[in-house]
Amino acid sequence: MNLLKTSCLIATLASLAGCAFDLVSVSQKPVTFAPGGGSGSFQLAKEVRAGLGTGFPTVLRADTTWKQVGTTEFGEVFATKDQIVKVEASNIHEAEIVLSERSLVGFYLPVEKTFAPLSHPVLLEFK
Amino acid sequence: MKKTIQSAIVMAGAILVCTGCASGPRFAEVSKTFPALSPGQGRVYVYRKAVLGAAVQPQVKLNGEAVGRAVPKGFFYVDRAPGEYKISTTTEVERSLSMLLGDGETRYVRLGISLGFFVGHVYPELVEDRVGEKEIQKCSYTGPTNCKP
Repeated sequence: MNLLKTSCLIATLASLAGCAFDLVSVSQKPVTFAPGGGSGSFQLAKEVRAGLGTGFPTVLRADTTWKQVGTTEFGEVFATKDQIVKVEASNIHEAEIVLSERSLVGFYLPVEKTFAPLSHPVLLEFK
Repeated sequence: MKKTIQSAIVMAGAILVCTGCASGPRFAEVSKTFPALSPGQGRVYVYRKAVLGAAVQPQVKLNGEAVGRAVPKGFFYVDRAPGEYKISTTTEVERSLSMLLGDGETRYVRLGISLGFFVGHVYPELVEDRVGEKEIQKCSYTGPTNCKP
């Protein structure tokens, strides 16, 4: 009986080990990315903290300069050389920001070619 | 008796930590001997500064290809064509970083460690150049045999 209990416990622990730490992932949607799209640029006036509900907010620093690098159906995509932008859950993804009508609506993940939406858009303040 | 046991445990821990760390030349000594980046290539430095979890040293893979090992206080580099890359390590679960590498660009990937169920998780994290350049100075080279492009 003890052997059975021990076996069950080991099996449970083993299965938990395989999944317990991999529950959080960045929600992503397939997206069509068109590179270019104009010479739009801006400088952030204030730091922005944008959460995807993963527990790891992405921070966009004040005074960073962003240039448009493309367009998606969710908005214009901007990138910066002033900081690394990444979205994080169990795994980490390098990202670019997606704006629609001056609001940050999510992130474009250039490797995965997907869009990670914010639960609530964040209005950005430009300099 | 209690003191002897405590001393033995401390010594065993110290030996375990020391034997688990990289012991090659430091970055400052060896980096001058590294070849300059070839045209049409970018460089990725991968380093692990933490000693915590020294016994956990998974392979580091770049787009599925083993390119090195996550040795505490160690570093290595890989030169690759510009493009999209996924750096991953696996212990209980896989941890990965997806990133872009530009032509002539140098990027720094730090290997951190977090708690796991049975064993710690080593996770790759992209860091700013100024952070990577500073932190890697204290690491020892663990290449070059498996770090060639």
